[in-house]
Amino acid sequence: MNRLKGQIAAIDSNSHMSLVDVTVGDDVFTATLLETPETAEYLKVGSKVTLLFKETEVSLAKNLGGLISLRNRIPVTISSIERGNILSAVTLDYAGQPLMSVITTRSIDRMQLAAGDAIEALIKANEIALMAGHHDR
Amino acid sequence: MTVDWQPLLLTFKLASVTTAILLCIGVPFAWWLANTRMRFKPAIEALVSMPLVLPPSVLGFYLLLAFSPEHWFGQWLDRVAGLRLAFSFEGLVVASVIFSFPFLVHPVQAAFQNLPRSLTDAARVLGKSNWQTFMHVLLPNIKPALLSGTVLAFAHTVGEFGVVLMIGGNLPNETRVASIAIYDEVEALNYAAANFYAAVLFCLSFLILLLVYFVNRKALK
Amino acid sequence: MIRATINMRLHGTNGEFQLDASLNIAEGEFIALFGPSGVGKTTLLRCLAGLELPEQGNIVISGETWLDTAARINLAPQQRHIGYMFQDYALFPNMTVRGNLEFALRKDRNKKRIDELLALMDLGELQQRKPETLSGGQKQRVALARALASEPSLLLLDEPFSALDAEMRTRLHDEILRLQRHFGITTIIVSHDVGEVYKLASRVMMMEGGRIVRQGSPNDVFSVGQTSGKFRFSGEILAIEPMDVLFSLTVLVGNQIVRVVAMKDEASALHPGDRVMLVSKAFNPMVLKLD
Repeated sequence: MNRLKGQIAAIDSNSHMSLVDVTVGDDVFTATLLETPETAEYLKVGSKVTLLFKETEVSLAKNLGGLISLRNRIPVTISSIERGNILSAVTLDYAGQPLMSVITTRSIDRMQLAAGDAIEALIKANEIALMAGHHDR
Repeated sequence: MTVDWQPLLLTFKLASVTTAILLCIGVPFAWWLANTRMRFKPAIEALVSMPLVLPPSVLGFYLLLAFSPEHWFGQWLDRVAGLRLAFSFEGLVVASVIFSFPFLVHPVQAAFQNLPRSLTDAARVLGKSNWQTFMHVLLPNIKPALLSGTVLAFAHTVGEFGVVLMIGGNLPNETRVASIAIYDEVEALNYAAANFYAAVLFCLSFLILLLVYFVNRKALK
Repeated sequence: MIRATINMRLHGTNGEFQLDASLNIAEGEFIALFGPSGVGKTTLLRCLAGLELPEQGNIVISGETWLDTAARINLAPQQRHIGYMFQDYALFPNMTVRGNLEFALRKDRNKKRIDELLALMDLGELQQRKPETLSGGQKQRVALARALASEPSLLLLDEPFSALDAEMRTRLHDEILRLQRHFGITTIIVSHDVGEVYKLASRVMMMEGGRIVRQGSPNDVFSVGQTSGKFRFSGEILAIEPMDVLFSLTVLVGNQIVRVVAMKDEASALHPGDRVMLVSKAFNPMVLKLD
């Protein structure tokens, strides 16, 4: 599971859902939650949280142009690629922090990804979970 | 041959009285022994088991000494309760109770120990006194052991010889039980009478044991 | 309202340790004492019932002092009005199902309660049977009915479901919850099953080495911090298999087997038999209606 430590910058909520902006370094991540500040104590601007998202939910893009609905786009560098038959694991470096993405080996070949490439990682807002506090594992 | 039924009747009277007394004191004692955490428990258990290993004559000898009017215990009994136990039926009963004690206590104690502790705990939590627990929960669940203990004690009393001879002697209607009568008749070369007593004891013992095994088999089912 | 402090030396498999626990329980709560075996859970329960006397202790229930070792007060189990369910059920073998319940009835109480309980627990047809002829689940129901027959103010359950299979356990969990709410009895259950605790208890006290190390709602105590995942289940890992660059985990959740995908570093930290929490965002599960 990918983990990033951040701090809540803004919360936008209706009766059941919240859109939470979390700053991680210089970037702002957005997560949609089925929770509100009334039901979850840790949902407060300024509180420390850990972002959690599954490796299989991290998409990769090279030379992406145009508009896209995805809220979370971050610049990353490929550190290494472990090729499998169908799926491959791509280890990424995001401002010094390791992240991982699992995509199809076919996509790796089609996009001609290789270690050292500077690309973008994309994560849908509703795939990001928040955990109160900072946790390394 | 004129049959003297008296030794047989005396034997069964002795066995019945002994067994009744044993039930009254032996069952609570077995329960106590099963539950006590006293330091001297092994010593008490050893003492209870002594009649199993001692020659009956040893026990009879010491009881005779204790019961004699010369001894302080015999004097005390005579003074306090007016009891003269040497060469009397009462003396035989006391000796038989002591002698048959382990035959009742052992199976009953083992059965108490085998009952799950939680049965007692459950009854106590349900508000039942120790007496109610004992009568309604513990006793009904050790019936087979109670039965075999009772019968063993009874049969053992019927069969005892050495102790009776030592402290009871051979007084007709008072201490002349069947086992003594057999010995007596053989001494007098009166084999027919001896055979009669022996045969009755043999058959009765067999029938009693048969009943125990039969009932126990049914209880196990 | 229950306040209790219990202090006593215990002999465990790993030597001696000190049972040192204080409880503070509100009326009507369903409490779980959770922890591995041999940490003093059952002893704590027995102390509450009066079946065990702690070296130092204090038990006050609704203003009534049951135990105060300093003042030499110790109410006998008979005077405490407790419902206790034993691990081995402790049904009286010489009595019928109905007899067991009637024996538990306090003096001068209406026998209607017996009929009510027999009906509630679906035991009507078994009432003339002896305990030895009953199945494990049936015995368990009789034991529960008997514990309730005495109209206790406090119900203590000592690992009542450990000997049953998963399906029977689920059924009885539902039953016990229903009865607990029906009678509103303050209940304490000893358990080492996370799923059971989750399902039954409003509050869990986690015990280690004779002490209560953590307490709170099952969610707070068992989850690693607070997570926004709405979809979560505790389960037991049955198998871990490599699958390309990933690993496949087979997990038993309740009595269902599910498979989830994990990364290599996650899988290497897990072993079959480990208990895990499966968490997913509320957005992910797709919902299919069952007929």
